[in-house]
Amino acid sequence: MTATPVNESSVRGTDVDQLPPEQPVGPEVPGAASRIRLGPGSRYTLISTLGYVTSLAIFGVLVAVKGAEPISVYHTIISSTLLNGDALQQTVLRAIPIGLAALAVAVPARAGLINVGGEGQLIMGAVAATGIGVAIGAAVPGALSWVAMCVGGALAGAMWAALSGVLRTWLGASEAVTTLLLNFIANDVMLYLIYQAWKDPHGSGQPQSRPLAHAAQLPKMFGSQLNIGVLIALVVVAATWFLLQRTGWGFQLRVVGGNIEAARRAGLRVNSLLLSSMAVGGALAGLGGALNLAGVETQLRPDITVTFGYVAFLASFLGRHQPVKVVGAALLFSAVALSGNGLQITDGLDGTIVDILLALIVAVPLIMAKYRRRAA
Amino acid sequence: MNGVEQALIGGVSGGTAILLPALGELISERAGVINLGTEGAMLAGALGAYAMTESSGVIWYGIIAGVLAGAVVGLAHSWITVRRGGDQIASGLLLWFLALGVTSVFGTDYVGTAITPLSNIAIPGLHSIPWIGAILFDQNVLVYAGYVLVAVIWFVFYRTRVGLILRATGERPEVVAATGGKPQLVQIVAVTIGACLGGLGGAQLSIGYVGNWFNNMTSGYGFVAVAVVLFAAWRPMRVLGGAYLFGIVLAAASVLQAHGVSVNQYLLDALPYLVTLLALALFARRGRSETPEALTRSLSRSG
Repeated sequence: MTATPVNESSVRGTDVDQLPPEQPVGPEVPGAASRIRLGPGSRYTLISTLGYVTSLAIFGVLVAVKGAEPISVYHTIISSTLLNGDALQQTVLRAIPIGLAALAVAVPARAGLINVGGEGQLIMGAVAATGIGVAIGAAVPGALSWVAMCVGGALAGAMWAALSGVLRTWLGASEAVTTLLLNFIANDVMLYLIYQAWKDPHGSGQPQSRPLAHAAQLPKMFGSQLNIGVLIALVVVAATWFLLQRTGWGFQLRVVGGNIEAARRAGLRVNSLLLSSMAVGGALAGLGGALNLAGVETQLRPDITVTFGYVAFLASFLGRHQPVKVVGAALLFSAVALSGNGLQITDGLDGTIVDILLALIVAVPLIMAKYRRRAA
Repeated sequence: MNGVEQALIGGVSGGTAILLPALGELISERAGVINLGTEGAMLAGALGAYAMTESSGVIWYGIIAGVLAGAVVGLAHSWITVRRGGDQIASGLLLWFLALGVTSVFGTDYVGTAITPLSNIAIPGLHSIPWIGAILFDQNVLVYAGYVLVAVIWFVFYRTRVGLILRATGERPEVVAATGGKPQLVQIVAVTIGACLGGLGGAQLSIGYVGNWFNNMTSGYGFVAVAVVLFAAWRPMRVLGGAYLFGIVLAAASVLQAHGVSVNQYLLDALPYLVTLLALALFARRGRSETPEALTRSLSRSG
């Protein structure tokens, strides 16, 4: 269950002149049993399925306008991300940064905070991991540098997010806006490092950092493309679920998210809860950035995150900020984002067209928001 | 022309690309709807204006196309958030993503081409005022539109019934409804007009300022515009000041660079966001009590 605000209907003041109330929800009235009625849950499923089909159809029209064959496009999307082992592994690997950055949205969302800074937190995680990995990677045993990179990445992400948390709790600046601005600053920090301070002297002029020593890269498992980052990410997802659903901290976050004034009067330390939820979120995204760097990229490059942080926000929204669903959504979006490459090669489309598909998918639950709340 | 004057001229011109979207965001937020899709409206406006100017050769058509492209984004945002009750932050980001995808897919044909940007029009009489004349009255028509819009918006907000209803909608939509008003209609109109100005701001970038188009050319200016409205505490005159401050910082930095003062390129790129963040940190608490109340409600939850 998500933490729903207590005064749901007054939250959106515009609900006053809303549609007339729908049929009563709950146990069926005995006399009405002769007609088949859909409960609010299955009605939501039915209408949203129609919505997703419409989204896919709109995307099909769009690719047709750009001169591609819609059927072939959908075939490419599926076959280039799911149907063969290699592609599937790439989808899973890419889901690590997206999934962890999506949890970075979901944790503060429990406390009612809006973290749109996944992108910056991922970048800072990758930056910290690069710094640590390049500095110590060749000198210490692999396991030590993996741990150091992960911890460093998580700390960097946590600090980057906590900055917005502090601005919110001490100075009252909206975290939705400050996290966004910090994304752009993080990107400039990274560009400065890879074009100047950390530029690889042997990189033949390419803007990139030195690569990690082989020992510092996360080892691959069972001869596959998957590295141990997958296991680390799974453990962290489980821990996040536990933290949110089964601990006092997780419960208190939900209380704050439900009604901040009530939480304050009940004696909860609201500011430290808000701040800690941002820091934990940032740590998750930072870890995601570090795992992506140490396991897949192995050196810092300009387009290392390519809007994963924003994709993650949409994934968290699609998964209603619930850890397990969020990870599912992240896997789906990872596949969609990855399919851009296939579409470019096979169907001659611009790879960024997948941004449109992502947006069309997320549009469905947004447009269905009223039904969605009722069905939840 | 000395360096300070150069920075101020560039600041007013570049600041207009923030001022117009920020004024749009101001209208939208005063009605209680935050629109991160302003960034998307700017992108759509930038490409719409450029593509129309390039194909028709008439720069006025380009300006109109930019406004209309913004309006499409605004209609979508208001439909999702006001009519369908969708989350405002998520909807804004989604529309930005959609605009990013659409403009980069349909904008490829225009990358690498160029047009003559809007020419400056010196206002007779005023432009010969020493110093100020060159800075304020020898600019393009969109810069002048900025001046006029600030005045018009201030007047409408504080001196007309329409403005009263708009501000009331942003505070207590239920009260507006109870007195026979239509808060949803007010919000839809406000968001759409706001996004039109976002599109106009995009046009100032593509056909007013640089005269070409490249992918993601707004690079976060729309988000900065949202931040400007916040630290300006929802006041039109302060929005004007904030936007020009932003433009002047940008222009000053590049003037310094041109004069041989070495400024790190990446610090320069980060400067606008740093300045905005700093301004938010300094002024956020003061502005907090002035936040339109309906906006507070929609900002304090997501999902």
